[in-house]
Amino acid sequence: MPKVVVEGIKKTLGGILTLQKINIEAEDRAVSGILGPSGCGKSTLFNIIAGLMRPDRGNVSIGGEVVTGNSGLTSYMRQKDLLLPNLNVLDNVSIPLVLKGMPKKKARLEAERHLGTFGLEGFGNYYPGQLSGGMRQRAALLRTYLFSSGIWLLDEPFASLDAITKRKMHTWLLRVLDQFQPTVLFITHDVDEALYLCDKVYVLSECPTVVKLEVEIPFSRPHHSHTIVDPAYGPLRDAIMDALSI
Amino acid sequence: MRRKLTSIVNGAFPLGFIVLLLVTWEYWVRWKAVQEWILPGPALIARTLADNLPLILKHAQTTLMECLAGFALAIILSFVLAFAMDEVLLLRRALYPLLIASQTVPIISVAPLFIIWFGYGVMPKIIVVILVCFFPIALSLLGGLAAVDREYLELFRSMKATRLDIFRMVKLPLALPSFFSGLKIAASYSVMGAVIGEWLGAKEGLGMYMTIAQRSFQVDRVFAAILIVTALSAALFALVALIERLVIPWNRLTEWRDL
Repeated sequence: MPKVVVEGIKKTLGGILTLQKINIEAEDRAVSGILGPSGCGKSTLFNIIAGLMRPDRGNVSIGGEVVTGNSGLTSYMRQKDLLLPNLNVLDNVSIPLVLKGMPKKKARLEAERHLGTFGLEGFGNYYPGQLSGGMRQRAALLRTYLFSSGIWLLDEPFASLDAITKRKMHTWLLRVLDQFQPTVLFITHDVDEALYLCDKVYVLSECPTVVKLEVEIPFSRPHHSHTIVDPAYGPLRDAIMDALSI
Repeated sequence: MRRKLTSIVNGAFPLGFIVLLLVTWEYWVRWKAVQEWILPGPALIARTLADNLPLILKHAQTTLMECLAGFALAIILSFVLAFAMDEVLLLRRALYPLLIASQTVPIISVAPLFIIWFGYGVMPKIIVVILVCFFPIALSLLGGLAAVDREYLELFRSMKATRLDIFRMVKLPLALPSFFSGLKIAASYSVMGAVIGEWLGAKEGLGMYMTIAQRSFQVDRVFAAILIVTALSAALFALVALIERLVIPWNRLTEWRDL
């Protein structure tokens, strides 16, 4: 049974029909990609899944239970790292634990155990202003992980990084995903990123948005960096490009 | 090495200009034999200041107390109002125009009313200082709170943070840089506010000292008092700037980001 089910979501924003009818199923412990042109309401969709916004129609279910409009069930990460500039890395990433009522000291210790996995060993006392873009995104992901919902909503997490850093982050992210096995919904507008990271990709249309194409990515597991030479890669990429009408 | 030299030279320019100005002033006064009660030279002002220092400092103490009291109350008032206006949209809509309008009322015309209402003590002076300081502080704090990226709020809401958590952990710290820029403006105006208050009638204070000196054509004493007012304003400004460095050291870190 899929872990997260989005069923017939419709949403009008500011008088404009943004999401017409969206159906998405995210399998347990898999990465489901959501590809679409900018302004097609991908972030609105995530806000609805995260429970920050109510849809006009349709439902969000997690583990078979309808949870439409309930926040706090998913871990949400965005393109901006949204680290607080006045707190060091350790205090920043332990925020979700503190908000859940854990004492600060204990939260810090808990967060510190994970710094290594997230490539931040020795940087716990640094302020966000002192870190590179890649490190800040890794810190943001650690904070996402520490909210520990088991469902990660990643909204273009690497879109602001340069191509080389981005590629490094991909390889690293796949390792992290293998280790923690979360159910991931991944928004991107980079086709190759989607093909590299995702087990399944939903291609969205322009506004008013519907799901235009749903494809399984057959070569995404086991992960390796040479999928691009797989004979299935070209046709699949073309199909996605067609759906995006590029 | 070269950098250090440049900074010394850069610092020397304004200092040299001030010295040049003072020297010109002194020679002009002597050459034209300008009367002391019209325009005294810098040397005479310095001497007057030195001779009357104990008295002037005693008055300065009063002025400083009024300043600090008014400044502190203005900060408290700004926080209460900015918090309420930020949380309740209706309040914001209702009070914002009033806030702007309050600033357009000439202080000099309402200050005498405070004296009628509250007498010649320190109270009316403190009120004038509050009026002068409140606007820049409240406005900068409100601006800072409103400028917080909406995505921060959404992220914290997605983590089930309460409104109080969000205000305490996100809005307040992110609004601090803006708040301090308003605070610095207010600090440098606060002494002026107190002096205006005293000018219209007081038992002691630099403003009262100045009015008496002026009425007896002791212009050198007026200048000496002005010097102290300027020094006090600069000191308050520097104090706030120092506190800013201590409270939000992280604000300067952003400059390193791309190194």
